[in-house]
Amino acid sequence: VTAAVPIRSIRRELIGWLTVGLLVAIVAAAVATYLRARDEANALFDYQLAQMASSVTGMPLTARGPLGTSPGADALVVEIWNRDGVEVYLSQPQRRLPQYRQLGFNTVATESGEWRVFTTVAGDQVVQVAQPMNVRRELAASMALSTILPLIAVVPFLVVVVWFGIARGMAPLERLAAAVGRRSPSTLAPLSESGLPREVQPLVQALNGLLGQLATALDAQRAFIADAAHELRTPLTAVHLQAQLAERAGNDPERAAALAELRAGLDRATHLVGQLLTLAREEPGVIDRPLSPVDLGDIARCVIADHVAQAGAHGVDLGLAGADATAAAPVTVSGDAASLRTLLSNLVDNALRYTPAGGRVDVGVAVEGDAVALSVRDSGPGIPPAEHARVFDRFYRAPGSADLPGSGLGLAIVKRIVERHAATVALGPGLAGHVGPGLGVTVRFPAVAPAAP
Amino acid sequence: MRLLLAEDDRMIGASIGRGLKQDGFTVDWVEDGRAAELALRENVHDLLLLDLGLPRRDGLAVLTAMRQRGDPRPVLILTARDAVADRVAGLDAGADDYLVKPFVLDELAARIRALLRRHAGRAEPVVTCGRIELRPATREVRVAGTPVALSAREYALLEALLARPGAILSRAQLEEKLYGWNDEVESNAVEVHLHGLRRKLGADAIRNVRGVGWMIATA
Repeated sequence: VTAAVPIRSIRRELIGWLTVGLLVAIVAAAVATYLRARDEANALFDYQLAQMASSVTGMPLTARGPLGTSPGADALVVEIWNRDGVEVYLSQPQRRLPQYRQLGFNTVATESGEWRVFTTVAGDQVVQVAQPMNVRRELAASMALSTILPLIAVVPFLVVVVWFGIARGMAPLERLAAAVGRRSPSTLAPLSESGLPREVQPLVQALNGLLGQLATALDAQRAFIADAAHELRTPLTAVHLQAQLAERAGNDPERAAALAELRAGLDRATHLVGQLLTLAREEPGVIDRPLSPVDLGDIARCVIADHVAQAGAHGVDLGLAGADATAAAPVTVSGDAASLRTLLSNLVDNALRYTPAGGRVDVGVAVEGDAVALSVRDSGPGIPPAEHARVFDRFYRAPGSADLPGSGLGLAIVKRIVERHAATVALGPGLAGHVGPGLGVTVRFPAVAPAAP
Repeated sequence: MRLLLAEDDRMIGASIGRGLKQDGFTVDWVEDGRAAELALRENVHDLLLLDLGLPRRDGLAVLTAMRQRGDPRPVLILTARDAVADRVAGLDAGADDYLVKPFVLDELAARIRALLRRHAGRAEPVVTCGRIELRPATREVRVAGTPVALSAREYALLEALLARPGAILSRAQLEEKLYGWNDEVESNAVEVHLHGLRRKLGADAIRNVRGVGWMIATA
């Protein structure tokens, strides 16, 4: 059970970020509005304080009492002293200000919050006018609020609009998803690129590339299966007929002969199935065994040992070319030992099959500059150069080889293994014999440094 | 009846040849298209069994050329290609029948007999001439309703003579029907087998035309 990973929704994410962005913008606007409104209020109210101070100096202020009814007047406190510090006038006796000796504007902290105080000297009187700061703050706050309230009201509307906008924008993606969903191994047609937003085009192009590769691979596989089915039918037909003859046999010698043929037919069918499996296994991407340093000399000696009996039975001299072949230093390539053994086995098998009795088959391992060459040369009839290109095709059999056992897959397998090892394979003349120029198959690998002991 | 088998697979060719021989046919086997054309020019075979995937010359090309020459002999295609398009192509190119590998030998023999029968212009599976009845399917021969046991060679001779009632077949023509390429032709064999036939069927069943050959008595 895998841990549940929350499924991300582009739409939800976009809406979320948009909302956060809007709110941050609104808050910033509110702060900016508030700060500017406060500055303006400060300037305005400071001017009002100064006005008030100059206006009260000329007034007869013998009585203690409120100062008229001008707006905001109740928030103003006016105190007047004479030179001797005797109070002349207090506008609000219950709200006393600390006497402030500094002239001009000052902000003073009191028990009832901050106050703005303006102190001036007029004649022989000291006039002090004060106002609580929170009046100004409230004014600034209410101005800021009135600016941002409509913005806040717009947020839900914007969210809804964006929600539908994204849905519209996402529609091509949903159509694309449906189109991809309709694709199956039998319909790998490319997706239409028309009418798609620019952002989605690269995705569709990548998908079409993948679809194309898939279709090619599937076609190759279908062709392979069709070929294989067709090729299997021949040995199976033979087995079928041989079994019918065995059933019909009237006496023991006839039956024994028929069964011997049946066994040969089964051997051929089995060999073909084995070769088909080997070929399928060497298909790219089937098994990706890592390549590791392999000594080709070892491989050559192993494969020769495996085929000595067969060579003896055919009367063919099989050996490793080179005078001091056994003492040779390791010739290392980067490869898959099992595949390389299959490769050389197939080449030696072919050579033994086509070389007449009394002939010779040489396996060679040599370093050629920065390449390593593995070669098999025989003294058989050779292959005409015109056929060289076709011999690596699946199920291709050289003309005149119908009476020789073989699946037509050996060299196709060799080619697959060569490709997997980034090597090359070339055909050329082999050891000239009395039946023709012979065949030489040379596989060249990129050399690697021998592995540390 | 002598058949030409064109089949490039050694095992399949050998098995078909042996099986058909057991069914009383004489079989000559070639392994490529060119050899098949050469053998067809000899004009000794009654029917061609043709594999389509032949080396050197494709089976369909052999068939087309044969029909272009006006060769009417029946052709039965034996192939692993079982797609409808392949069958249609084969039959349209002039084949008379089509058998997909793998097949059962008995069916192959039955189809060959049916083709030979139709080619001879007969619908019924029994060849009748006077008192003599020959059933190719079972290789049974009756004279006036009584079964007669014939050797393989005797049967082949009788079948050849019955194929063209009234025609005189030379000794060489009869030998062609009896022996494939690899068979050793025994001297006097035709006379020996004809003698056996006459003994079993009645002396008047086969008439000798001196210096020309033999014919089946139609009366």
